[in-house]
Order: sequence, then structure tokens, then C-alpha cells
Amino acid sequence: MIWEVFRQEQAGEYHTHCGNVHAPDREMAKQFAAVQHGRRKPTNSLWVVPRDEVGEITGDDVAFGGTTDKSYRWATTYRTTGADASEVVESESEQADAEQGRGDD
Amino acid sequence: MSSPLENPTDFSARERRALETLVKRLGDDEFVLAERYTEWQVRAPSLESDLALANNAQDELGHARLWYDVLADLDVDERDLVYERDPADFRHSTLVELPFAEGDWADAVLRSYLYDAAEDLRLEALEDSAYPPIADRVGKIRSEEEYHLEHARNWLERLAEGEEGRDRLQDALDRLFPHALTLFESATPPVETAIPTREASGSNEIERNTDETSGDRSDADAAAAVEGDIVDFGLRTATLEELGEEWLSIVVPFLESLDLDVPIDESTIGEGVEYAVTVESLPTQLGRDGTHTDAWFDLYDDLTHTYRELERSDAAKIREDPDR
Repeated sequence: MIWEVFRQEQAGEYHTHCGNVHAPDREMAKQFAAVQHGRRKPTNSLWVVPRDEVGEITGDDVAFGGTTDKSYRWATTYRTTGADASEVVESESEQADAEQGRGDD
Repeated sequence: MSSPLENPTDFSARERRALETLVKRLGDDEFVLAERYTEWQVRAPSLESDLALANNAQDELGHARLWYDVLADLDVDERDLVYERDPADFRHSTLVELPFAEGDWADAVLRSYLYDAAEDLRLEALEDSAYPPIADRVGKIRSEEEYHLEHARNWLERLAEGEEGRDRLQDALDRLFPHALTLFESATPPVETAIPTREASGSNEIERNTDETSGDRSDADAAAAVEGDIVDFGLRTATLEELGEEWLSIVVPFLESLDLDVPIDESTIGEGVEYAVTVESLPTQLGRDGTHTDAWFDLYDDLTHTYRELERSDAAKIREDPDR
């Protein structure tokens, strides 16, 4: 049986999916997860969830966010050469930092 | 109580011998068990159980290092303790040196339960040790040992649910239980402690110890004497007898609750205690007295092979001194 594992680094943060473990039951899953996913990176708490209990909905099932093309909202295609573009560069790097901070990449 | 055991350079020969004997039995148990555990690497029943046992093995190696490091203050270094020591001078229990029955996970799980349950009790008895470096180490070690014990108990409960698993556990129990009892045997003081130090008042005893080490009787006497010192000096706050009785009162009911038959004689139930470790229930080799099964000498050859092959003269150290 497969248990999906979610790790929280610090109290108050989100639990983020970090992998899974094979285990016959919840108790063993918690124990294995502690070693496999809580040993190397800073860990405050782990959740183990039976894979079957995870509900999933994908882009094939539903059009996320409707059918309008919203790529214009992602202002990452401006020219960034030239002195006047420094604000764009800063803003982009802030955005990249934020994405990294959320664990998006 | 004002601690008489602050500065190792002021130790009497007897104090030194007691400390060295205690630390060797602690460190050797951890070290040899870790060596055995690593044999399961990439062979355990699943990736998860493999990693869990490897994790425990790594913990035990770390604990061995913590204990051995206590002796650094007595000028005994890791190289002397691991690579240059006569294998017959190791003081671990025979429980930890036995090879696993081929592919028998029940053996690994049961052994770790028997050992970890005993370790939990002995750590408790070291928490208030009169020698601060011992007491200081207990907290770190105990926090990791909780996982080991939980891991072993969980596996036992699950293996015992099925008939095949229970049969395998029973076989392992019959084989391992007598050896587990040697965990509570007193250890013969190591040979090198007999080297006279500048302490004059202890010299009588040192001579007695070196002169008579040939006879079994005097070995047993020396072991009993040094074990008495370990407790009298406050290095450990419980006797081996007390630890053994307590251990039996925990593991026997637990194993019986799994429908296992514990090979312990009813006659060992004494007055006021539920069970006691008796001579009749012990195996021929006790480990603690320097007698070991052949398997240990083979294992020692294996684990020192590279060191000898490469003609090393030092043990690599990648961690700093835990006391600094």
C-alpha cells in the first residue's frame, strides 16, 4: 500500500508533498516516512495519506480558470536590456524568488 | 553528592578500570550490532525497511563513537579501540555478534527488540551517572533509541499476526534469547587496564588482576569486583541484576502477548521478582567475559580487513569531538 508523504518544515507553513512510502498501515507509514523524508531536510511535521484517499482532478476533466487565455498576466516577456529595464529585472527576480520560496520549481 | 569523578587525570586505578570496563561494554554492543545491521543493506524485505534499519545502524555507530570518545580522556583512542584491539578483548554481548539466520527478517526484528528494550533501561540507569561525560551523552542517544524500539515493536506485532511470521519469530526467539541474557552479565575488566598507573594505593589490586587472569575463577571475580565498582562509584545507578529483572518483566509479557513461548525456566522466578537471569539459562560464550562465538572473530577479520590491507595507522575521523 502506498502512502503519500507531505512535509512541513516549520510550524505554520503548508505541508508540501515530498514523495511516498510503501507500508502496510498508517503506523508503519509514519515510521518509514520519518526516516525517508524527515531525516535530511528540516522537518517539523509529516503527514502520511493513503494514495487512494487523495482525490484528483486534472486539466482533462475541467478547464481550470475558464477558457480565456490569461498568459498576459505573466509579465515575463518584456525586453530586459537597456538601463530603463532595471525595474523589470528586479520585479522578475522578486517573482522568481517568491516562486522558489513557495517550492514551485 | 559531590562528584568524585570530575577529572580523569585524578582517577585511581580502580576508578579508571571501572570506567573503561563500563564504556567498553556499552560501546562494543553498539558497534558490533551496527556492523551486523549493515548486512541487511539492499537485502531487507522492502526499500522502506532497508532504509529504516540502515538508519538504525547509523545511529548505533554514532552511539558507539560517543561511548568510545569517553575513553579519549583516558588516552585510549578510536584506533586502539576498534582496529588495534584483540578481538578477544571486546566486551559486547554475544547477542549482537551472531550472524543473522540467512534472510531471516524475523531474526533482525526480534534481536533489535531484545537489544533496544535492554538499552532503554540501561540508558535510564546512566542518566544520573557520577561521571558527567556519560550522563551528558544519554539524552542524545535515548532520543534516537525511542525510534528503534518503536520500530522493532511495530514489526514484531505485524510479523506475529501470521502463522509463518510467528513460527519464524519463535525460532529466532529460541536461538537468541539465551544470548540476550548475556546483556546483563558482568564484564571482565579489559587487559590493558591492568597496566599500573602512577596511583600507588591501587597497585595491590592491579597485580592481583594481572597475575591471575589465566584462571576462569579469578576472571569471574575480577568481573564481579569491577561491576561492583561501577555501581559503587555511581557510574551506573542500577545493578545488572536489577536491569536484567526489569528487562525480563517487560519483554516476557510482551512476547507472550504475541503468542510466543519465551524459553525461560519457571524456576528462575525468585522471591519478590518475577524473573531472574540464572547461570543455567546462559549460553556457553558470554561475550562480556571475552569469550565469543567464532562468528565474532570472522566478523572482526572482515571489518578490519581494509585497515590491515592498506596498512593504515589511523582511524579516519570526520566529526569533531562531541565534548567541545
